[in-house]
Amino acid sequence: MTRLSMTRIGGALGTLALAIVATPAVTDDWADDWAGDLSPIAAADWSHDRAAHLLERAGFGGTPEEIARLAAMTPEQAVDWLVNYHAMPNQLAPFEESGIFDPGMEPFPRSRAQTVKWARADGEAMGVKVKPGGDRPYQHVVNKYFYYLRSDRLENHRLGQYWAWRMLATQRPLEEKIALFWHGHFATGDDKVRDYRKMANQLATFRRLGVGNFRDLVVAVAHDPAMLVYLDAGQNVKGSPNENFSREVLELFTIGIGNYTEADIREAARAFTGWTNDGLDFVLDTEKHDTDAKTFLGRTGNFDGTDILDIVLEEDATARFIVGKLYRFFVSDSAPAGVIDRLAARFRQDYEIAPLLRAMFLSKDFYAPHAYATQIKSPVQLVISTYRKLGLTDLPGVPDFHRATEALGQKLLYPPNVAGWEGGRSWITAATLMQRGNFARDVLFPPIGEFRAPDRALTQIYRNVGLKLDVGLDITAATIEGGDTSDGMMSMADRMVAVSDEEFNTRYAAYHGTVMAMKRVKAIPRVAAAMDLTAMARDAGVKTTTDTVDYFTARLLRARLSADQQAALVAFLDGELGTSDVRAAMSYLEEPLRHLLHLIMSAPEYQLG
Amino acid sequence: MSKRHPAFPLNRRQVLRAGLYGLGASAMPSLFARAMAADGTEAHPERILVVVELDGGNDGLNTVVPYGDDAYYRQRPSIGIPAKDVLRIDDYFGFHPSMGSFQRLYDQGKLAIVHGCGYENPILSHFASMGFWHTGVPHGGETLGWVGRIADAMRPDGAENLIVNIGKAQSLAVRSRVHAPLVFDDPDRFLREGRHEQAPVLAQLTGDRESPNATLAYLSDVAESARKSAAFVRQAWSDYHTPVSYGLELPLSQDLRKVAALIDAGMPTRLYYVKYRGNSFDTHVHQVDLHARLLTYAVDAMDGFLEDIARLGRANEIAMMVFTEFGRRVPENASGGTDHGTATPMFVAGHTVKGGQYGAPPSLTELDDGNLIYTTDFRRVYATMIGEWLGRSDTAQLLRGDFAGLNMFA
Repeated sequence: MTRLSMTRIGGALGTLALAIVATPAVTDDWADDWAGDLSPIAAADWSHDRAAHLLERAGFGGTPEEIARLAAMTPEQAVDWLVNYHAMPNQLAPFEESGIFDPGMEPFPRSRAQTVKWARADGEAMGVKVKPGGDRPYQHVVNKYFYYLRSDRLENHRLGQYWAWRMLATQRPLEEKIALFWHGHFATGDDKVRDYRKMANQLATFRRLGVGNFRDLVVAVAHDPAMLVYLDAGQNVKGSPNENFSREVLELFTIGIGNYTEADIREAARAFTGWTNDGLDFVLDTEKHDTDAKTFLGRTGNFDGTDILDIVLEEDATARFIVGKLYRFFVSDSAPAGVIDRLAARFRQDYEIAPLLRAMFLSKDFYAPHAYATQIKSPVQLVISTYRKLGLTDLPGVPDFHRATEALGQKLLYPPNVAGWEGGRSWITAATLMQRGNFARDVLFPPIGEFRAPDRALTQIYRNVGLKLDVGLDITAATIEGGDTSDGMMSMADRMVAVSDEEFNTRYAAYHGTVMAMKRVKAIPRVAAAMDLTAMARDAGVKTTTDTVDYFTARLLRARLSADQQAALVAFLDGELGTSDVRAAMSYLEEPLRHLLHLIMSAPEYQLG
Repeated sequence: MSKRHPAFPLNRRQVLRAGLYGLGASAMPSLFARAMAADGTEAHPERILVVVELDGGNDGLNTVVPYGDDAYYRQRPSIGIPAKDVLRIDDYFGFHPSMGSFQRLYDQGKLAIVHGCGYENPILSHFASMGFWHTGVPHGGETLGWVGRIADAMRPDGAENLIVNIGKAQSLAVRSRVHAPLVFDDPDRFLREGRHEQAPVLAQLTGDRESPNATLAYLSDVAESARKSAAFVRQAWSDYHTPVSYGLELPLSQDLRKVAALIDAGMPTRLYYVKYRGNSFDTHVHQVDLHARLLTYAVDAMDGFLEDIARLGRANEIAMMVFTEFGRRVPENASGGTDHGTATPMFVAGHTVKGGQYGAPPSLTELDDGNLIYTTDFRRVYATMIGEWLGRSDTAQLLRGDFAGLNMFA
């Protein structure tokens, strides 16, 4: 085991930098016959580019200095450094919770209507009593319901932000990368779970078991409260099974479609009946568990959920399905013939994930042209690797992380559905491709002046409610859209609508809950990226604009630009600097360099990793 | 949309609306001249098809409700729509009470209901079944979308923006051999930001290029399409103002209004694809209120769109087809919802459609393990849109099989 502590501070290692530029670009004449070759790459074939490829795929890319450290190892040492991460210390601060829960808030009602129903029955709900008299007796209860919804969402955004920071700051990049893989595989979203603690626990499971044994992982996920809630497991009861959970377990999590029948799904659903959660804990509700015999994949017995998983794991198709997905995520969209089967045959023996990944990352196939610099980076990969390549150690608060990735089609902890993100070419549309360039621009030229923190910005509707309340309108008047603050006049129809709603006012509750949530949930620090491209260029020893373009394209791109495009970038920089002698332009280099990087990052090549 | 409720008098996005590539009025017409190939396969080169996807598996039985059938109420004791509440179609069927705008369209003869749509050996997986509807080839291993294949046949040489897919990601339905469908979500953000002096280099970096790296070649194609179309789309959207209500301001309302804006602006698109997003119709639990809302939102948006294009004087050029990947199980489940099922009605709406009911209603008593047995192959509806609406003669080739149209257009 090689223990290295990596630094992402530039400068001292800057002399390495120009050597990188001299590394020969990957060409098609080598390695074409590496496709499908699972034998390990030889030390003699190890290079800076290949080390960079490894770090990009097994992690989130890095600075030239980080890549140089991996390149200086043998391939085995480099891969082991990434894969055997549990042996390495990783002193990352834990997630700091805001503390949004008050006594009595759990269990959470599933809707506003249910909140009111409970309050009507019990005289209180979510720890808030119904007012014994006066206007809008349920108002405080409903306020609390909206506070819970909004504060959980904000806190879950902080959790996603925290995870992104870990991807950036970690010494164990594969730990976060594999967690991202499993998050897409066992896709669960807080829009339905509505409890960031369950999401955090699930993520911790992905980190703990991410490269462990797949059986342990899938059993843990089947017991995971976030997943159970997400797939309505609580509704799956003896006598009337809800198939949502068992269907997705088979189709998406283990064996894949085409290897079982609809009847198998129904029988599996019976085996999972009664699997539910009490808050953050798994619970088997024996009253609701079906203990009769089930027939699943040709076997009959009194199976429970774990038995179902064990039967599924005995199928070769399961190993192939999981290996296929891992291969696509880490290696290539187009697996050469036979590769998946060969890897799966080995994986099937014990379902150990770390040795599988080690074999993949060491194989010549991993460095073959079908794999090298052919993967479209996911939005999260694009954003984090951009920051890592720029040497940042703090996650910028401007641009907002979630806004940036969501605009590109991915938001952590909010996958589009239980199938996760499709990945590959689906990341790219005309709009998202442009938006990727705009993200680069927002990093290089942070829009400080006009930035409004999403975790502190009320929407226009709620701003209007607040403004109207502040000028003395009553709740009814303040919450009617279009109600005018200047003369307080309302149409009779508007007034009728408002007054008829007097047990509580929903819009006021939503406004109030949102404001309360913003007060209680910790703010995300809004600091823009701190970087000094001039120092980077100086430390790299660049002398000419050609050197500069070569240095930054090598630092940022795995797929190389054409000579024409490189020349166009040099011409652009020449024009901006008024000279091709960079040393003469040091005092005003920063802004032109930022424009240069914006251009490089806008190229289609930058989308490939 | 910020243009409706501007947060500030002027924000950066609005300032930049003109965009890096400028937006002279001259930018568009020559690029997007609406020239259709006169290859003889098409009788109606002016006609436009709008496909609306209801994602998640819409509960057809609670959409077009067989209130005249006791079996319906036996199977759905708690979530069945009471006969007194349905919006009556005839003595057997009624619309869900949230579908007032569809009832009106139906009464005006502008809405066709196609009963019992499905396919042999139905798959109850969202992803697999949706894939079958997207490709139009169930169990067939087809890799291109059925809408994409229409585009390939219309313009085998490729053409700018023949397909527009509004959404965050491209649908498999529009995947095409030669066309790069224009996919975007928020027109206001469909913009490459940058300084004037960067523009020529950006154009070179993002321009079309040959590459042995297939992914890179793909990215270059998309970049080229974006570069040529973004300014037009932004302008069309910012110029578009309509008095017509599309219902609540939800993504589907906005997406259909984007379609109207592009049609009005003279986009040469023949094939538009939009969807009700986010697996919304997957109503496994407590579906009554939820499904009512979903239906209102969906039908009000579609009704608004049809009214709007009539206002634009384009009513006779547009037909809309509505589908979902499957219906839901006939019996309700124990959680006040319904699980994945099979056959389900489709809708075709438009000013020239012959309104009414098509296809045989599926039986509620002869079921396949709790599921409806389909009566109408959904590709008959596709064939109707391709052959009867778009007026193409190569329907069988496009659908990889012979499917009779429903004689739905005058």
